[in-house]
Amino acid sequence: MSRGAEIPKIQAPRDLKWIGRSTRRVEDPKYLRGLGRYVADLEFPGMLHAAIVRSPHPHARILGIDAEAARQIPGVVAVVTGAEAAELVDPLPDSGPAPDRHVFRVLALDKVRYVGEGVALVIAESRYIAEDARDYVDVDYEPLDPIVDPIAAGQDTSNLVHDALGSNVAYDRTFTFGDVERHFAEADIVVRDRLHWRRGAAMPLDNGGAVGIYDPATGELTIHANSISMTWFAFALAATLRIPSNKFDVISYASGGSFGARFCNWRVLVTAGLASKLTGRPVKYSEDRLDHITNGDQHASDRYYDVELALTRDGIFRSLKTDVIDDYGAYCHLGVGTHGNAMAQVTGAYRIESTVYRVRAVLTNKTQQGAYRGFGAEVANWAIERLVDKAARQLDIDPAEIRRKNFIQPEQFPYHIPTGNMYDSGDYERVLDHALELFGYDHWRAEQARMRADGRRVGIGLVSCQERSVYSATEFWFWYDDPAVQTTSTPEGVKLTADALGNLTVTLHSTPFWGNSSDTMAAMLVAEEFDVDPATVGIEYHGTKGGLPAAGPGGSRLTVMYAGAIRGAATKIKDKARRIAAQQFEADPEDVEWVDGGFQVRGTPDVRKEFGEIAMAAHLFATELPEGLQSGLEASHVYDHPYTTMPSKDRTDLGVFYPCMGHACHIAMVEVDVETGGVKVLRYAAVHDAGTMVNPRSLEGQIIGGTAQGIATALLEELVYDDQGQLLSSSFTDFLMPTAMEVPELDIGHEETPSPITEYGIKGGGEAGRMMAPGAMSAAIDDALVDYGIHVAELPATPERIVRWIGEAGGGAGSAPR
Amino acid sequence: MKPAAFEYHRVGTTAEAVAVLDQLGEDGRVLAGGQSLVPLMNFRLAQPEHLVDINGVGELGYVRHDDGMLALGATARQAHVAAAEPARSDVPLLVEALGFVAHPPIRHRGTVVGSIAHADPAAELPSVAVACHASLTLTSRAGSRDVAAEDFFLGPFETLLAPGELVTEVRFPPSAPGAGWAFVEFARRHGDFAIAGAAVTLALDGDRVADASIVLCAVGPRPLRADRAEALLLGQAPDAELIAEAAERAVADLAPGADIHGGTEYRIGVARVQVRRAITLALERANGGDRR
Amino acid sequence: MTASASNAQTLPITVTVNGRAYELALEPRKLLADVLRQDLGLTGLNIGCAHGVCGSCTILLDGETVRSCTLFGVQADGAEITTIEGVAPSFEELHPVQEAFWAQQGLQCGYCTPGMVLRTIELLRENPDPTREQAREAIASNLCRCTGYQFIVDAVIDAAARLRSAAQQEEPDESRS
Ligand SMILES: Cc1cc2nc3c(=O)[nH]c(=O)nc-3n(C[C@H](O)[C@H](O)[C@H](O)COP(=O)(O)OP(=O)(O)OC[C@H]3O[C@@H](n4cnc5c(N)ncnc54)[C@H](O)[C@@H]3O)c2cc1C
Repeated sequence: MSRGAEIPKIQAPRDLKWIGRSTRRVEDPKYLRGLGRYVADLEFPGMLHAAIVRSPHPHARILGIDAEAARQIPGVVAVVTGAEAAELVDPLPDSGPAPDRHVFRVLALDKVRYVGEGVALVIAESRYIAEDARDYVDVDYEPLDPIVDPIAAGQDTSNLVHDALGSNVAYDRTFTFGDVERHFAEADIVVRDRLHWRRGAAMPLDNGGAVGIYDPATGELTIHANSISMTWFAFALAATLRIPSNKFDVISYASGGSFGARFCNWRVLVTAGLASKLTGRPVKYSEDRLDHITNGDQHASDRYYDVELALTRDGIFRSLKTDVIDDYGAYCHLGVGTHGNAMAQVTGAYRIESTVYRVRAVLTNKTQQGAYRGFGAEVANWAIERLVDKAARQLDIDPAEIRRKNFIQPEQFPYHIPTGNMYDSGDYERVLDHALELFGYDHWRAEQARMRADGRRVGIGLVSCQERSVYSATEFWFWYDDPAVQTTSTPEGVKLTADALGNLTVTLHSTPFWGNSSDTMAAMLVAEEFDVDPATVGIEYHGTKGGLPAAGPGGSRLTVMYAGAIRGAATKIKDKARRIAAQQFEADPEDVEWVDGGFQVRGTPDVRKEFGEIAMAAHLFATELPEGLQSGLEASHVYDHPYTTMPSKDRTDLGVFYPCMGHACHIAMVEVDVETGGVKVLRYAAVHDAGTMVNPRSLEGQIIGGTAQGIATALLEELVYDDQGQLLSSSFTDFLMPTAMEVPELDIGHEETPSPITEYGIKGGGEAGRMMAPGAMSAAIDDALVDYGIHVAELPATPERIVRWIGEAGGGAGSAPR
Repeated sequence: MKPAAFEYHRVGTTAEAVAVLDQLGEDGRVLAGGQSLVPLMNFRLAQPEHLVDINGVGELGYVRHDDGMLALGATARQAHVAAAEPARSDVPLLVEALGFVAHPPIRHRGTVVGSIAHADPAAELPSVAVACHASLTLTSRAGSRDVAAEDFFLGPFETLLAPGELVTEVRFPPSAPGAGWAFVEFARRHGDFAIAGAAVTLALDGDRVADASIVLCAVGPRPLRADRAEALLLGQAPDAELIAEAAERAVADLAPGADIHGGTEYRIGVARVQVRRAITLALERANGGDRR
Repeated sequence: MTASASNAQTLPITVTVNGRAYELALEPRKLLADVLRQDLGLTGLNIGCAHGVCGSCTILLDGETVRSCTLFGVQADGAEITTIEGVAPSFEELHPVQEAFWAQQGLQCGYCTPGMVLRTIELLRENPDPTREQAREAIASNLCRCTGYQFIVDAVIDAAARLRSAAQQEEPDESRS
């Protein structure tokens, strides 16, 4: 579909063979056997190992580095200081506001800006020796005052993270969409909230890793890595490494989870690449847990909100104000993209006429943010749902009903929210009703009353949230009035090959796999086109060198994009095959139709050729091909973003940039132990609408996994910095990911409102769960502690915080129930 | 996260172990289950020069009755102790507490004695050893000495153990017939070290408390005996109010250190609740609520 | 401080891994996880945290699950080890526990899977018919960041049923449906 074109009426998917079936995943057997091959498993002859010397200081000038003693240790091949690295490679790709004034490098140059930042690189025969030598690298630091509190840092100009920036505020802009002031003036009620969403992290179990292999004979550099491959963007990495882009190949490997942490991840790749360029030998840099927590690209949103919702006395929402300060840590290399994600759905599932959004990106002496499932939109979901719950309580309306009153209605789609983004389709009331029924809302409300009568602090919370998917490139630059480039492509290319027997191989040009079932998705989509079993489809990955444009996973785009690309390639192959078949049938190609894995002449099903027969002809019998056709049966197809429109010059309209809009309702029931602050989830139900489902079981897996992460965001996980800038949660004993005992059993339901703009009506679903659970958990805790008037305004709601809130509400241990 | 180099000494008998330890003095470090030591070494927070691996000392793997006591050798693994009949029948408090120590794969390696020797103030087993009036045998080349668990713990990761000494055994007196017990703790996650925990044993004479042992875990530099709470209960028939009062006394002088999972005040509050719940449960069991 | 590799001690060990005996000479500090991964090429186990918490490096050591990142290779002298590579009966067939994980989609990225499968095998040996709650508690020793555990619990329950019926009927487990 062309950009900005009129949106057709929704078509329910036609009769489908594979899409919609919970088939087993094609990638699983190798992982079940332990033969999956992650990047840490790779061995190459002569391979060396790198370790990073990390800063113990949050903020310090590097006066000098003496690496001589380290270099003398047997087995050490090289030690590279930050200054030496700056001679060898250029700064890392950076789409931040002023990359030349908050320069992002592989190793710190003059100053360290957070605990864990790399200052030198040791390359040795084994990782053990590299770590031995690390202890002998003598760094002379002049400690500076740490910049920790983003609110204070935003005002301070005397102590700066980046002196060249002249401020600790990397970005500050207010976007106004519609007549906010009038809607606020007209409102009967304004509900306000101050919210604090603390820093978490994606924290996949696998760390970042790369093996660089420089070939001095050809000048080519190959990097095997578990980062996103991004043929689309590899040229920038090549430039950093000073390698011609066509002599640079990033080959992707499966990653043991990502959740955003493998997005960009430039430092790991550049570390391995520069080390190999320097030594002429393969070099592996595998982050260990400490590297990944302190120096990876995975720290997530760290936000302070002031939000206001204007509404009428009967609970109709009019306008929303957001003022958010985000503590980005020391660098801002992904720009403020996490706020673009927020603005894609900032007004939630509701008809809200106008909105204003101020974002301040503050730099501090903490690890730079990367990406984490939701990419900042999950925080905005939490913010608006917190406001809605507060409004419901203030107006004494049931939380389900206040949402119902304000939902965008099915006939209003495609619907443009005030920021300009479009929601393609939805039926939110249906999702709500389904969730209420699945949860047994009325029944459990009655049970809750009974439990409360027994003195138990039991609460039920509900949210109805958006899940935007399939981003477009405009969100990289609409921040700036005069962006250097105004890119509009977020492509995904695939190649499809039928061999002489008609067996199919799909070549993917993004990262292979990080738990997201991408092989299964591709195989099922191919299977759907060609009526074969997905298990028979060959899957192959192409490196960036000579690859088709592909933006890779991120923003829940991959399945939608694969569907478009595979559809396109399949159509090309079938068109050619149809012409060959028509020639053999001596029929007009128009009269030849695809039926069950072969071609037949319309109306005469006994005149038929199987696809394999045509493939054989295409490969081996050139003289029998129709005029103008060459041998072979393969096609490439690059699918572009399905629907993008340009932002307005004055940015009062950001255009359509995240149009495939999923939706979900989550309902949680919790019990709070007011004496310890412990929270136990008693019941949890979630209904999702991600458009047409390709593999419902896999989608459910994503939803459940995401919800577990969301519950952990609500209760457990936090990267804690003390007021001196030391990271206190740098191990798995302190960064508390939930075990099976902290995660409840979920009841999952689905609705399927197809997208009108994608193949088969698929929408993205990969970030599901994490975008809803924090709000549902907060609401449930509020409800459990309603007697204390508690409103959760800070996450994670740790046991200690809950006890403190109860105390502050005058409900100390003394008033606790027996 | 790779450990620094060390010299490795595999020993097969107690005599051999103490001989090597004696020779190494300050430089020698015992390697038991390794479930505390090896993670520290991987972070290079511990860099021992010599490790004396006692895992091959078969003669110290026992879990047995000995002279009316439950005796555990230095290499008796936590999982095996928890499953062993003598422990289940004699010292149910220990078995209950073991359920809170990490997870089965860690308990398959970790030893009861190693946990006690390690003296992590947040660990469960040191508190249990104190609560049960357990005693330890410390063996060196020069001979053996017995010390009460009560005296063994000096501070965080600090004990009476001298260089060259090996803890060869811990002995638990069996729980008195009809006595109640409870180990209760609050942790952020299943299997984590506690924010606060309490180990309690109670013996009744009729409905009166004849003997009480209350020890707090994770809220001080070492296991803390709540003797004022014990004194309050002695001779009384505890009701909810008295139990709450005992819990109050148990935490009256606490000053636990803060960490990211809990500040001082919070930990005191949690400790109070754990003591109350542990006494309540132990009393219930003593009253026949949960007989072995 | 630290001695480097060149002048370090090496010790000979014999160890049986997945039924095959190996003789190795090891630097004492080399973690068992690294010995299995690097010296024997058994990269199925993963080192997720190297401090015993995540369980991605789980193996069966003399029949019991342990973390191979908190053991030194030299400590495996004389031991019998099973890693995930030793679980399936053949290249064609999977173990019933692996089958159940596949059928239930009890994995996403696969990184924790070796540990989860080995824990499940151990659990079902001790308790052939666990409740969901017991299954949950058993796998709580190992972290999974993808699945939220529910489908792993499904897989444990499914695996239990497969193993029980296999034990009863001595029939091969059901093949791909
Ligand atoms: C993920 C994880 C979670 C854990 N959770 C908990 C928990 O919740 N609660 C808890 O209590 N523990 C926990 N532990 C620690 C575990 O219980 C350890 O097994 C125990 O603390 C130490 O026992 P060990 O046999 O492994 O000793 P090692 O680690 O081998 O030794 C610990 C220390 O004690 C010394 N030592 C050991 N044995 C002797 C001896 N016989 N004589 C003299 N010195 C000796 C060693 O030299 C060393 O300094 C956890 C461990 C891990 C990895």
